[in-house]
Amino acid sequence: MADVVLKNVQKSFGRAKVIHGVDLDIRDGEFVVFVGPSGCGKSTLLRLIAGLEDITAGDLFIGGERVNDLVPAKRGIAMVFQSYALYPHMNVYDNMAFGLELAKSSKQEIDRKVREAARLLQIEQLLDRKPRQLSGGQRQRVAIGRAIVRDPKVFLFDEPLSNLDAALRVQTRIEIAKLHNDTRATMIYVTHDQVEAMTLADRIVVLNAGRIEQVGTPLELYHRPANLFVAGFIGSPQMNFLECQVAGVGPGEVLVSLPGGGSLSVPVEPDGVQAGDAVTLGIRPDHVRIGPEGALTGRVELVEELGENHLLYVDAGQGRRLTVREPGDARHEAGSSVSLDLARDFCHLFRHTGEALRPQADATTPTSPNLTSSAA
Amino acid sequence: MTSAVAQADAPVLQQARGRRSSLTRSRLRSAWLFIAPSLIILALIAGWPLARTIWFSFTDADLNNLSDYEFIGFENYLASYDGEWLGLLTDPDWWQSVWNTVWFTLVSVSIETVLGIVVALILNAAFPGRGLMRAIILIPWAIPTIVSAKMWNWMLHDQFGVINDMLLRVGLIAAPVTWTANADTALWAAVAVDVWKHTSFMALLILAALQMLPQDIYEAAKVDGVSPTRVFFRITLPLIKPALLVAVIFRSLDALRVFDLIYVLTSNSRDTASMSIYARQQLVDFQEVGLGSAASTLIFLIIALIVVITLAAGRVRLGEDPR
Ligand SMILES: Nc1ncnc2c1ncn2[C@@H]1O[C@H](COP(=O)(O)OP(=O)(O)OP(=O)(O)O)[C@@H](O)[C@H]1O
Ligand SMILES: [Mg+2]
Repeated sequence: MADVVLKNVQKSFGRAKVIHGVDLDIRDGEFVVFVGPSGCGKSTLLRLIAGLEDITAGDLFIGGERVNDLVPAKRGIAMVFQSYALYPHMNVYDNMAFGLELAKSSKQEIDRKVREAARLLQIEQLLDRKPRQLSGGQRQRVAIGRAIVRDPKVFLFDEPLSNLDAALRVQTRIEIAKLHNDTRATMIYVTHDQVEAMTLADRIVVLNAGRIEQVGTPLELYHRPANLFVAGFIGSPQMNFLECQVAGVGPGEVLVSLPGGGSLSVPVEPDGVQAGDAVTLGIRPDHVRIGPEGALTGRVELVEELGENHLLYVDAGQGRRLTVREPGDARHEAGSSVSLDLARDFCHLFRHTGEALRPQADATTPTSPNLTSSAA
Repeated sequence: MTSAVAQADAPVLQQARGRRSSLTRSRLRSAWLFIAPSLIILALIAGWPLARTIWFSFTDADLNNLSDYEFIGFENYLASYDGEWLGLLTDPDWWQSVWNTVWFTLVSVSIETVLGIVVALILNAAFPGRGLMRAIILIPWAIPTIVSAKMWNWMLHDQFGVINDMLLRVGLIAAPVTWTANADTALWAAVAVDVWKHTSFMALLILAALQMLPQDIYEAAKVDGVSPTRVFFRITLPLIKPALLVAVIFRSLDALRVFDLIYVLTSNSRDTASMSIYARQQLVDFQEVGLGSAASTLIFLIIALIVVITLAAGRVRLGEDPR
């Protein structure tokens, strides 16, 4: 049992408050990823869990035990640092064995653990090398190996892949996922790489300025962001946002008037929103279609070809820019006029406070864009 | 395909090589130009006196008349008259001074190293007033040796010294001790003053090394649950060893040519004389330039030998696997 529970955890450095009361319940064996913009407190939160920083206020439980006052070594955790933090004067074997030598394990026991971890990470042939004789990827694997031999209940990773090149990142990411499958240990992982977050996480925690914005599975966050911040943070390219006014409300739908005259009925619960209120309409680039009779018209400013799909940056007037992602090669050039069709089932509405309006009471996560029904 | 590329590149490469060598030549020229003044000055102020000293050590020169001397070979070092061995190498006073100097160096540098590490570790920890402390501990080092030797001479004085006074009051000694005149305690007194003066210098060199160490490995050690003593002996010490070695060599070189401290502090007896004091005595007091030069030459050789041994020992240990 190694669930990690944070109850109103706060952290201040001197007078600067960095973590403002975080409540989080991480289940045993879960893979949780912290994401958020730079400086939002991801590393700080991780270091609080590790015990490398003191918790200013609140409680931290690991495996049901309150560990606020326990030293890192007693918390049953292992940490993989962004900078690897390998002991530069020790070879790979000693780097992994060093932490075990004090745990009263016998020499054979240590040797067995180190070699097993080395085999798992395919660094057996590197055991005699010093860290400076290794590539970045190999160093990272040694750092992970050092965590594995401790046999921790909770693994903590602070941006472990950010110093690796793209190909190695994918490979190591898959290895970490495998490691999670094999050990079933609880893992907490900090990254600002969306793909890492989406692919690795059981649940993602979106942090902003020391507060949790939303916790949920990757698809929950993608399809039902709780607020403007999460909507803008998850998904690449970013979700399009349009300032609109509410034209009318009905049960399970809100009619908004679009800039340029059109209007659109969005299937969300009005929940107190009234005609005349300012709201923000959000729609992902994949759900905007170039159609013959769209709700919006605009001029293509820039085309980016990505091979399997392409991005159109469309100026819809009054400084409103929309990004459109369409499959295949671009059929429009910069400068041409297009009309844009917004798939209403995929539209999000946010109050002026940034909070999202809930989708229609029964609405399940939409699975495929259905343009004909939305136009009807 | 590759060969075609290589062929196409060949003239370009040749050109580049030609250009680079002329560039290298002009770089070398300006490099020589820049270091020439220092080389000339070094030759004048270090090379020439050294060469002259070595030359004089093979002569019977006298301080009264430096222009009139004869080449006498190794007689200053070792000579035999009627089956009796004479010369520097047979002089018990010389060997006493060598022993005094080496003993003084070993003891004071060892104590300074250990204390220096302790002080550096303390100064490396974050505490209020750390910057002030760093400045304050340098004060003994900044005081000229003559001044501190004179000062300690007074403090250690057998009748008026504050040290004897304090020890008497506490009851640690029954009668005043003649610290600096007594052969048993004089060298220890010199060691104490040297430690007082140079520990901060050592500490500062070590502190600089400590601050270069990556911080993340200490966090890793914390997570690994390594005890502070183990962290020190297994992580910190191996990592600062190169810097520590440099500091030890610096201090040893300094201590091996100790002169003013012992000259001023102790009563200038043969029991406490250092090699430098012996050489000065031959040269100035006895006017024996030849013998004094021979002693100076031997000092030079002894120091060079000790440095080479220290460096070699350090390198061997640096190269070997710590496991
Ligand atoms: N030791 C410290 N003293 C004072 N402020 C700190 C300290 N460590 C972090 N902070 C502040 O806390 C905030 C959060 O820092 P943190 O390192 O947790 O950000 P992060 O989310 O990990 O960012 P990044 O993605 O850039 O790594 C920052 O504003 C930072 O300036
Ligand atoms: Mg960080």
